[in-house]
Amino acid sequence: MASITAPLGGEARAIPAPSPRIADYLRWSVDHKIIGVQYMATSLFFFVIGGALAMLIRLELLTPALDVAASGTQYNAIMTMHGTVMIFLWIIPMMAGFGNYLVPLMLGAKDMAFPWLNAFAFWLIPPAGVLLLAGWLIGPAEAGWTSYPTLSTNFSPDGQTLWAMSLHLLGISSILGAINFIVTIRNMRPEGMGYWQMPLFVWAVLATAIIQVLATPFLTGGLTLLILDRVAGTSFFDPSNGGDVLLWQNVFWFYSHPAVYIMILPGFGMASEVLAVHSRKSVFGYRAIALSSMAIALVGFTVWAHHMFTSLQPELRIPFMITSMIIAVPTGIKIFSWLGTLWGGKIRFTAAMLFSLGFLSMFVIGGIGGVMLASVPVNIHVHDTYFVVSHFHFVLYGGSVFLIFSGLYHWFPKITGRRLDEGLGKLHFWVTYFSFFFTFFPQHIAGLQGMPRRIAVYDPTYTNINRLISFAAFVLGIATFILLYNIVRSLLVGERVGANPWRGLTMEWATTSPPPAYNFVGDPIPFEDPYGYGTEEAQAYLDALDRRFPPPAPQSAAAPLPEPAGD
Amino acid sequence: MNAERSNTSSSSPVLWIIAAFALLILGGLIIAEATPLVLPPQASAEGQQVDNLFKIMLAIGGAIFLLVQGGLVFSAIRFRARQGDRSDGVAMHGNPTLELVWTAIPAVIVLFLTIISFQVWVSITSAKDNEMVVRATGARFNWSFSYEVPEHDLTVNSSVLHTYVNQPIRMEMQSPDVNHSFYIPAMRIKQDLLPGRVTEVRFTPTVAGEYPVYCAELCGSGHGDMRARIVVHPDEATFLAWFDDEVDVLLNPPEDPVARGFQVLSSGAYPCAGCHTLDELGWTGVTGPNQNGVADRVVNTRVGATGQPPEEYLLRSLYHPGEYLVPGFGNLMPQFQPDDSGAPNYMPVDDAVAIVAYLCTQSASGENVCDLENLQNLASQYN
Repeated sequence: MASITAPLGGEARAIPAPSPRIADYLRWSVDHKIIGVQYMATSLFFFVIGGALAMLIRLELLTPALDVAASGTQYNAIMTMHGTVMIFLWIIPMMAGFGNYLVPLMLGAKDMAFPWLNAFAFWLIPPAGVLLLAGWLIGPAEAGWTSYPTLSTNFSPDGQTLWAMSLHLLGISSILGAINFIVTIRNMRPEGMGYWQMPLFVWAVLATAIIQVLATPFLTGGLTLLILDRVAGTSFFDPSNGGDVLLWQNVFWFYSHPAVYIMILPGFGMASEVLAVHSRKSVFGYRAIALSSMAIALVGFTVWAHHMFTSLQPELRIPFMITSMIIAVPTGIKIFSWLGTLWGGKIRFTAAMLFSLGFLSMFVIGGIGGVMLASVPVNIHVHDTYFVVSHFHFVLYGGSVFLIFSGLYHWFPKITGRRLDEGLGKLHFWVTYFSFFFTFFPQHIAGLQGMPRRIAVYDPTYTNINRLISFAAFVLGIATFILLYNIVRSLLVGERVGANPWRGLTMEWATTSPPPAYNFVGDPIPFEDPYGYGTEEAQAYLDALDRRFPPPAPQSAAAPLPEPAGD
Repeated sequence: MNAERSNTSSSSPVLWIIAAFALLILGGLIIAEATPLVLPPQASAEGQQVDNLFKIMLAIGGAIFLLVQGGLVFSAIRFRARQGDRSDGVAMHGNPTLELVWTAIPAVIVLFLTIISFQVWVSITSAKDNEMVVRATGARFNWSFSYEVPEHDLTVNSSVLHTYVNQPIRMEMQSPDVNHSFYIPAMRIKQDLLPGRVTEVRFTPTVAGEYPVYCAELCGSGHGDMRARIVVHPDEATFLAWFDDEVDVLLNPPEDPVARGFQVLSSGAYPCAGCHTLDELGWTGVTGPNQNGVADRVVNTRVGATGQPPEEYLLRSLYHPGEYLVPGFGNLMPQFQPDDSGAPNYMPVDDAVAIVAYLCTQSASGENVCDLENLQNLASQYN
C-alpha cells in the first residue's frame, strides 16, 4: 500500500486550531464559518419557539372545545406563527447555515465569493424575526402562513402587515444568499474538481440556489401587493373593487411550492454525504442523484396549482395533476439510489446515520402521500384536511428536520472540534423516530375521516385520534431537549476529535476541526472521487490526511470509528 | 438487486426477485383492504369512484412502502459493520440498467395513476340530467342554502341542506366575505367559495341519512364552528313533504311579528348562527355575544346607558353593529343593508322588525319587553 501516493496539496505547516469566543458570533463577521454558525444558532432558537407554538396547538386539540386559546382568533394566530416560524426562520435559514459553513470547505475555498454580502444576508434575519414576533403586540396575523386574501387583507389585524414586511426581509436574505452560492460554486471550485466531481451536497445547494433566485421574487411581488392592499387602499385581491382572490393564490404558490424544494434539497444533499460516509461506500448513481436534484428544481416550477385543486377552474386541474405526478419520478430515483448506496456497504449505526436512515424510512411515506394528493379526485376529498398536514410534516419533519439532525451529528465535530455524545444521539433518534411517527401518521387517518385543518374546535368524533396525536407530539417536543442538552454538554466536555473523525473523502475533512481562518493552508488538492470508498487510493489518501492532521492522542475505546485499515 | 448479492448456489436470482415482488404485491393488496376502515361512511355516487381510486393507490403505495422499508431493514442487518471490521464496503458506483429500471417503473406507475384519475375526474364532474340546483352561501361562520320556487317567485332558505337519494345536485356557491370551502366528507366532495365568483360542485347522494358539512378553508376565528348538516331523504316524496311545508310558510307568513321572526331566523336566511348562541334555535356560535336572555340584558344595562328603549337599541344594533359593540367582541358582524336589494347583505326592514320582535321575547319570563308599535315607527325611517 505504501506504493500509492496521495497528493494532499497545500502546506504541511501546522496551524493551531482556533478557539473562537462566543463574542465572535454576536457581532458582524464576514467569515463564512462564523456566519454559518450564526445562521444555525438563530434557527435553533426559532425552532424552539416554533416548537412551543406547536405544543400549544396540540394542547388546544386535546379536546374538541375551545379551552386553551382565549378565542378562535388567538388559535389562528398561534397556528399562523407556528407555520411561518418553522418554514422561514427554522428550516430555510438552518439549511442556509449548513450551506454557508460547508460549501466553501467542500470546494477547498477560503470563503464564499461575496463575504460582505454573505454577512448582510444573515443580518436581515434577526430584524425579520423581531418584526414577525412583534405582530403579537399589535394584533397578530391570523390568516395562516398562506395568508389568503380577503381574510388577510380585509380582516386580519395589523400584525399581518408586519408579517408581510418580515417575509419581505427574509425573501431578500434568501435571494442574496442564493446568488452568493451560485457564484461561489461556479467560480471557486479548485483545480481538478469539475461539476461532476463536486460533492452531492454542493450539487443540492446549487439546485436550491437556482430555485431561490428564480422563485423568491414572486413572493416579494405578491407580498408588495398584499401590503398595498392593506395599507394603501388598493384592491389587487379584493373582488368588490375589481381584484381577484386567485391572483394571490397563484403568485404565492408559484413561490411556495418551489420553496418546498428549497427546504428539502439541501437535506437530500446531506443525506447523500452521510449515507456514503457511514456505510463506507460510494453513493450509488452519482449523476442520477445530482441530475435528479436539477430535475426536481425544474419540474418544481410547474406544479404550483396542485395547492389550488379546490379553487382553481376545474378544467385547469388536470395539467397540474400530470406535472405533480411526474415529479415523483426524480424523487423516487433518489430514494432507490440511496438504498443502492447502503447495498454492499459496511454500515456504522452512528446517530448521524440513524437520522439519515430514519429519514429514508419516513420520507417515503410522505412521498406516497404526495402521489395520492396529486390525483385530483382523491385530493378533492382530503384537500385542506389533516391528511395534508400529515403529508407535509412527513416531508418537512421526516425529511428536512431529520436530515438537519443528521447533519448536526455529522458535522458538529468539524464545526467545534468535539463530537456530539453518541449515546444521547441514539436516544434522541429513537425517541424522535417513534414519537414522530405516532404524531403524524394518525393525522392521515384524521384527514381521511374528514377533519379539516386549521380548526381550534372539532367534531367530537375526532377526539380519540387527536388525543393520541397530542400525547405523541408532547413526547416529540421533549425529545428535542435531548438534542439541545447534548449540544450544550458536548460543547463543554464533548470528546475531542481530529480533522477527520468519520474518515470522509470530501474536502471539509482535509483541514483541522474547527478549520483555521481561511480554512486551508495553501491550496488543497481534492481526492479524485469524493465517494471513492473501498479503494486503496482512498485508504492512502485518508492515511495521509491522518498523518498531516494527527487525531488527538487518547481516542475513546467506545468510539464507533474505524481505525485505519491495515495498520 | 436483492438476489444479485444474496443468492446462494442452490437458488436462482430470478426466483428470488419473483418471490420478493410477489410478496410486495400481496402486502400491498392486504394494506389496501384497510380502505373502508380509514374512510368515513360513503354516501354518494362520486364517493364510490373516489374510494375505488384511493384503494388502488393504497395498494400500490403499500407495496412501495414495503419495498423501501424492507430494503432498509434488510440492508441494516445484512450490511452492518461487524464488531472490529474497519474496512470499507465494495467499490460499486452504480448500475445503469438498474437505474433505468427504477426510473421507468415509477414513471409507468404514475402514468397509470394519472390516466385512471383523469377518468374518475371526468366522470364525477360531468353534468347530469335533471340536476337540482341549490344555492349555497358561506358567510363567516355560517352556511345557508336556498332553493328557487319559480312558480311562486319565492326562495326557500334553510340552514340544513335537504335532498334525496339518487337526485343529482348542482351547488352554486357564493361568499360575501372571505374564502370558504364547502366540504361534505361523506360525499367526498369539496369546492372553495371565492368572493366575487360563483363556484359550482356536483354530487349525487346514494344513501339516506344525515351527514356533517364543514368549512375546509380558513375563514377566521369561527372557522372550526362553521359546520352544517345535509339531510338525504330516502325518496322524493319525503323531500317534498319538507319542501312544501317551507313553501307554505312563505306563502302564508305568520301575522305575529314574533312568530315571523322565529321563522326568519330558523330558516338560516341570515348567517347569525355562525357567531351567536341561542338555545331556542340551536345556535352554538361563540364569536359574537350570546343571545340567550338578550332582552333582559338590554333592559337592565343598555337602556339606562344609552337612553334608548329596548326596541330602538336592538334595531339600531342590528343595522349598525359597529356602533353597538359589546365589550370583549370585535366588529365582525356584517353590515346589513335595509334598502339595496342587490347588496350581498340585504336585509329588508320587515325582516329586521320580525327579528327584533323575536329577540324582545328572549327574557327570563318569556314576556315581550318591547313596544312593538314604536318598533314599527322606528323601522319606517329605514324605508
